[in-house]
Amino acid sequence: MSMQSAAEAKGFSLGSLIRRPETGSFLGFVVVYTFFAILGGAVFMGAPGWSSWLNIAAEVGIIALPVGLLMISGEFDMSVGAVVPAASVTAALLSGHFELPALIGICGGLAVGLLVGFVNGLLVTRSAIPSLIVTIGVMFAVMGLTLGFAVLIKGSTSLSYVPDPLTKSLLGTFVGGMFNVSIFWWLGFVVAFVFFLHFSPIGNWVFAMGGDAESARNAGVPTAKLKIALFMASGFCAAFVGVAQLMTYQSAQVAGGQSFIFNSIMCVVIGGVLLTGGAGSIFGIVLGTMTFAVVNQGIFFAALDPNIGSIIIGALLLIAVLSNDSFRTLAMTLSSKKK
Amino acid sequence: MNKVNRFAAAAASAVVLACTAGAVMAADIYVIGGKPDDPFWSRVKKGAEDAGIVAAAQGGSVTWLGPQNYDNLGPDAAELIRQAIDQGADAIVGPDWVPEAMDPAFQAVTEAGIPLVIYNAGGLEAADRLGAMNYVGAVDYKSGYAGGAYLAKAGHMNGACVNTLPGAANIEAFCAGFNAGLTENGGTGSVLQLPATAFGDATAVAQAVRAHLLQNPDIDAMFAIGDGDTNATVSGIQQAGKAGQVHVCGMNFNDSILANIQAGTQDFAIDQQGYQQGFFAVSILNNFVNYGVTIPTREILTGPGVIDAANVEQVMAGVKAGAR
Repeated sequence: MSMQSAAEAKGFSLGSLIRRPETGSFLGFVVVYTFFAILGGAVFMGAPGWSSWLNIAAEVGIIALPVGLLMISGEFDMSVGAVVPAASVTAALLSGHFELPALIGICGGLAVGLLVGFVNGLLVTRSAIPSLIVTIGVMFAVMGLTLGFAVLIKGSTSLSYVPDPLTKSLLGTFVGGMFNVSIFWWLGFVVAFVFFLHFSPIGNWVFAMGGDAESARNAGVPTAKLKIALFMASGFCAAFVGVAQLMTYQSAQVAGGQSFIFNSIMCVVIGGVLLTGGAGSIFGIVLGTMTFAVVNQGIFFAALDPNIGSIIIGALLLIAVLSNDSFRTLAMTLSSKKK
Repeated sequence: MNKVNRFAAAAASAVVLACTAGAVMAADIYVIGGKPDDPFWSRVKKGAEDAGIVAAAQGGSVTWLGPQNYDNLGPDAAELIRQAIDQGADAIVGPDWVPEAMDPAFQAVTEAGIPLVIYNAGGLEAADRLGAMNYVGAVDYKSGYAGGAYLAKAGHMNGACVNTLPGAANIEAFCAGFNAGLTENGGTGSVLQLPATAFGDATAVAQAVRAHLLQNPDIDAMFAIGDGDTNATVSGIQQAGKAGQVHVCGMNFNDSILANIQAGTQDFAIDQQGYQQGFFAVSILNNFVNYGVTIPTREILTGPGVIDAANVEQVMAGVKAGAR
């Protein structure tokens, strides 16, 4: 908590700017963007390039926000990889197969996410099993249920649904033919999460829980309820991406979504969130997501071997963790003179 | 007395049952295939299971062995082949996806004297090399070639193959065939390689296609290796503002692909007819184990079949009837 309030202290001296946890993430983004801008040329720097990586960033970004929040509070969520296809298959079954209104399909898909999150939260708070293991278990269970129900009801592992124009324009259209509408949803989620973590009083509870859960509970923070709520937020956001993918590509696959597990964690870590909990910011997570997406898409504009992209992302991850450590040491040693 | 009689009768009928069961050679057939939640492989699996109804009626069984994921395809599939041997298979069906990793396991099958049929990938060449009875499947190279030739003959000369599984022999063959089909009919072909993490992620595939088209504006034809990838490729083309200019051919099909062919956003699909692969591979082995009968025709081709605007309605009727 003390670390966070130091970083949140007002005043814009250069020193406090450098000590902000996001500084490393921001520098990383600038370096990566410049690198690919030089290689990718005008197309990458123009609207087609921006929309290309923003489309990728929006989907993984919506999931990275709650995953980051959970990590700040000291927990992992692996189940997002199973919730994405589970939600899109549920929505496709309800609206496509049973021909119910789109709203019911959307609500059904989102409800699946909330339910999975609730189960995750309950298991984590009621047992002594680490959340990493709990959510891996839940992930496999949800994958199996999704496959089972899809085959049982539809007799197929791939479902399709053609949404009505209003639903399509809200969740699955491309603004100007290239900017996926999910970019704007991502912005909305960012605003909500910034308010929750950095302005509402509950935000401090999240940091406190990640710093020292026992003391936080003794200080009156309802840790169990808060944790369940955070897991539900992560299930909800993953489900949202699943439903949006259904509306965009008009088809739902039982598999897929696995890539979101590690991609969301990488965005969060590149964004400066401490793996052991207690430190991080929404701004950092957003920067981490943007960096990740620029590397992912920049590769294709720069005409490099796609495998090089994986190497760069891997290297970025390690550099991010190393630099976060040094920035944190810097912040803790230098800011102490204020007292 | 009564009790003893009943016991004797029961014992006698049990002996009779045991004898009849012994008289018929029940074939326990193990089928190695893709993930059960892969849309294409679920159709192959259905074909294998439908053929398994006959095997079951004759006292045998069909067991499906598929990997959890495709991250380590060759070694994982080789492990499944050895599992099938260990579980006492009477006959084995398997695809030769990654020959380097899987051939030693297949050789162990034939060395153990277990009848083997290669299906889906590898071709007759793999069947001959490994001492298998037959090959059932589409020839990947020919499938790709059919796609390239169709597009080039329609005047779309500059093509790219979207490879979301680099390193898998059958996918490389699709792309090589596609490029050969284009070049031998006067066009040019290239391959867009994606990192393996993009497999199954529609957004990643769509954005990669879009970026590639923006950087290479001359491309007017694309080939996708599966139905999910095809939908994503179509979306990538639309986002690049090239709908109607870049023509798409995809392997395999589903409801939304048939709708796209009808609507004209996709030109055509190449069908490997996966149901046939599972059905015939299992039937050949079941009949051989039970009755010793063989199919002298070697290389049972199940594809390529072309689905375009001309026959899409027929195919849709077939889907409704549950035949495709």
